[in-house]
Amino acid sequence: MKTIIEPFRIKSVEPIYFNTPEERTLLLEKAWYNPFLLHADDVMIDLLTDSGTSAMSSDQWAGIMRGDESYAGSPSYYRFEQEVQEITGMPIVIPTHQGRAAEKILFSILGGKGKHFVSNTLFDTTRANIEYSGAEGHDFPCVESRETEVPAPFKGNMDLVALRQFFQTHDTHSIPLCILTVTNNSGGGQPVSMSNIRETAALCKEFGVPLYLDACRFAENAWFIKQREVGYADMSVHDIVREMFSYAQGCTMSAKKDAFANIGGFLALHDEQLARDCRNLLVITEGFPTYGGLAGRDLEAIAVGLREVQDEHYLAYRIRSIEYLTNKLVEAGVPVMQPGGGHAVYLDAQHFLPHIPLDQYPGQALVGALYVHGGIRAVEIGSLMFGKYADDGSLIPAAHELVRLAIPRRVYTQSHIDYVAEVIIEVFQQRQAIRGLRILEEAPLLRHFTIKLAPVHF
Amino acid sequence: MKPTRQSWAEPYKIKMVELLKMTTPAQRKKALREAGCNTFLLKSEDVYIDLLTDSGTSAMSDRQWAGMMLGDEAYAGSRNYYHLEETVQEVYGYKYLVPTHQGRGAEHILSQVMIKKGDVIPGNMYFTTTRLHQELAGGTFVDVIVDEAHDSTSTFPFKGNIDMDKLEKVIKKYGAKRIPYVCMATSVNMAGGQPISMANLKALRTVTKKHGIQVIHDMTRVAENAYFIQQHEKGYDKKSIREIVKEICSLTDGATMSAKKDALVNIGGFMATNHWNVFEEARNMVVVYEGLHTYGGLAGRDMEAMAIGIRESVDDAHIKARVGQVIYLGEQMQRYDIPIVLPIGGHGIFVDAKQFLPHVPQDQFPAQTLAAEVYLDSGVRTMERGVVSAGRKANGENYYPKLELVRFTIPRRVYTQAHMDVIAESVARVYERRKNIRGLQMVYEPKYLRFFQARFEPLK
Repeated sequence: MKTIIEPFRIKSVEPIYFNTPEERTLLLEKAWYNPFLLHADDVMIDLLTDSGTSAMSSDQWAGIMRGDESYAGSPSYYRFEQEVQEITGMPIVIPTHQGRAAEKILFSILGGKGKHFVSNTLFDTTRANIEYSGAEGHDFPCVESRETEVPAPFKGNMDLVALRQFFQTHDTHSIPLCILTVTNNSGGGQPVSMSNIRETAALCKEFGVPLYLDACRFAENAWFIKQREVGYADMSVHDIVREMFSYAQGCTMSAKKDAFANIGGFLALHDEQLARDCRNLLVITEGFPTYGGLAGRDLEAIAVGLREVQDEHYLAYRIRSIEYLTNKLVEAGVPVMQPGGGHAVYLDAQHFLPHIPLDQYPGQALVGALYVHGGIRAVEIGSLMFGKYADDGSLIPAAHELVRLAIPRRVYTQSHIDYVAEVIIEVFQQRQAIRGLRILEEAPLLRHFTIKLAPVHF
Repeated sequence: MKPTRQSWAEPYKIKMVELLKMTTPAQRKKALREAGCNTFLLKSEDVYIDLLTDSGTSAMSDRQWAGMMLGDEAYAGSRNYYHLEETVQEVYGYKYLVPTHQGRGAEHILSQVMIKKGDVIPGNMYFTTTRLHQELAGGTFVDVIVDEAHDSTSTFPFKGNIDMDKLEKVIKKYGAKRIPYVCMATSVNMAGGQPISMANLKALRTVTKKHGIQVIHDMTRVAENAYFIQQHEKGYDKKSIREIVKEICSLTDGATMSAKKDALVNIGGFMATNHWNVFEEARNMVVVYEGLHTYGGLAGRDMEAMAIGIRESVDDAHIKARVGQVIYLGEQMQRYDIPIVLPIGGHGIFVDAKQFLPHVPQDQFPAQTLAAEVYLDSGVRTMERGVVSAGRKANGENYYPKLELVRFTIPRRVYTQAHMDVIAESVARVYERRKNIRGLQMVYEPKYLRFFQARFEPLK
């Protein structure tokens, strides 16, 4: 199938403002070569993130109008709660203003100095929240994930051998949680197989460590299971989703991804005592337990979105869009993570720009080039986001130097995607001219959001 | 203050309505039991008139709804952020803005940035979340509000004022170095929505300047405070609300704002400051807790609604109708001899539960009891602001606040004059049978902000 069939039509549009490469060169300089500091109006195709950038459906907008803004006990909350319970099978649902707030609450209770959190790969805000609490995060991505350009069906999987070894060599009381990120975002939006979820759960059970899902993209993950895993082809996405959650004791979710919401998140779990502690913290920073810092209308939009995202026509369209762009780039010889992930195309910047050393941040340099050339905003997921400094001040690079082109849900059309492919291919052809970057100013945590950079001179 | 006898007709008409469910006494009795006699735990579907809070419950205007459609949901650099920033700079005059998903998010970040362990923060009466964030950051709150604020019968017009002698004593005792800022709220919520005067603010500015202490403005109801200054303070009757609001802000260094009150939105808040170093630190922190500094955990559309709401909130006609409606309800209650906090504040009526139920001792939660009784009578939901809200000290003892109040908070632009009449009549009915009302005992108590989730049972 060549064409991407969208199972919707457009109900409302938003204009795109055009600018020229000359204008964009100046704008990027003014934004300190950091795409997070660009004004959105100056971006033509915004692939910075798929988080909170979805086009809502008319049903969701109807939910927005229906939202009950009562401070306590809003019916919008009960509709939201019911939908989350139905999907996760977890009885306790705690809304938060977004996913990172759910993480913040969970890790302030379970984290602290001397604690270890294990995962297939922790995402940036997750890791920051863990480290902020004084605990350490450990990633055990599967072996296949190391080679970006070698396809494998479930590159998001947990490395079970490494996990077992970690459990055996550490006091399991110091490991409050094992977190499976589905799909694995930093690992390229790659799915985790059902058997890997099941086996991770069994291993966790053996060592008495609770398993939680970081469930932002649970539906995309379920679709890959249906497509690629033996025995699931005839199961509905909804049932696959239910099975995925059945292996976990709890989950955190940013509803800004697979619930098509522009804001919102939640924590769902079975443990009543932990839930009480969580609610105690919730009221301090988020809000009362039946709104968690969200407007009633947003709870409605999430409830509707959670149902819509499990539609198989939608998921086929969604995953096909990513695959379409990936294939075009592969054909042109652009180094790209294979196979295509669930929500984004990941360029391998280290292979794309072999002439730029890692401590000059090839990923960030490529992000700048894409913006100047075509007005496309992408994000670096590499040493700028995850790198650390050794004691002598030298950079300890991240495992990969990736550039993520995250595709917002239901926002861009096939012709936009064609344009994006053209821009990337043209930049690839002119890649020798791209220069590395140096850091002028940075924050201690999550530096990529506010960092200031300048080009390195030859 | 003499009662306002002029008409306060609304400067708007209704564009969209939300249907209400009517309940029977038997249904309300069951609902109250299920909610552990805590109005916070009632389902809002079981409530007829919801006066739990004026926070996030406003009716937005058609312009705000239009703004919602103009939301730019880009993760970074959304145009709605720049519109909000420009509005805050223009209307309030603060230089730097950090949006947050609501006011407590701003308080959290401000407290973490400005307070060190062992610091002391003087303020004009505590507010639940504000004090908690100060304590969690290692600070201690010290009340420096004028004594009149604690006397529900005093009719002093500016009961939100800071007692300068008390403040000077605190500075002398702890030293200016241990005081990162004075926390100054406009329209003091816990005192009954009582305003602070401009003269008092100017005096505060002089004192703090002398000692090099910042003034942080808890500005969630600044426009309502400005209205009282316009009505009652010499030299301000010819000034617009907009001018007065800006003057108030100009006497402070920074602010935390829950936009869910004055600014007429259902979600949102911000922290503002004139100091670059505070801003820079706050901006780094907001990413961890709230979201990137150009959205702070808000959808773009909510920032747009906030920007529009801020401008609407400083309109003279809007504020006159807003406070006019509150005063109307208060005057209706006075007609039935119901003991209320005077003078009438800007966002609600505060009924004095100690006077209402003198036979119920404070450790049997008279205000909580009264709130439950009013709900049973008519389905009107109110909130306790007394011993339950005050919580416990670090040593585990209950705080016993002088004021034991039930708050009837009026959402902005939502209810009509007929609704106000229903409320007053219901309270009058409960007042008639007050002698038969018995207190409550607490059967579940959460660790923080217990009033939200505590459960009670009627005493036998």
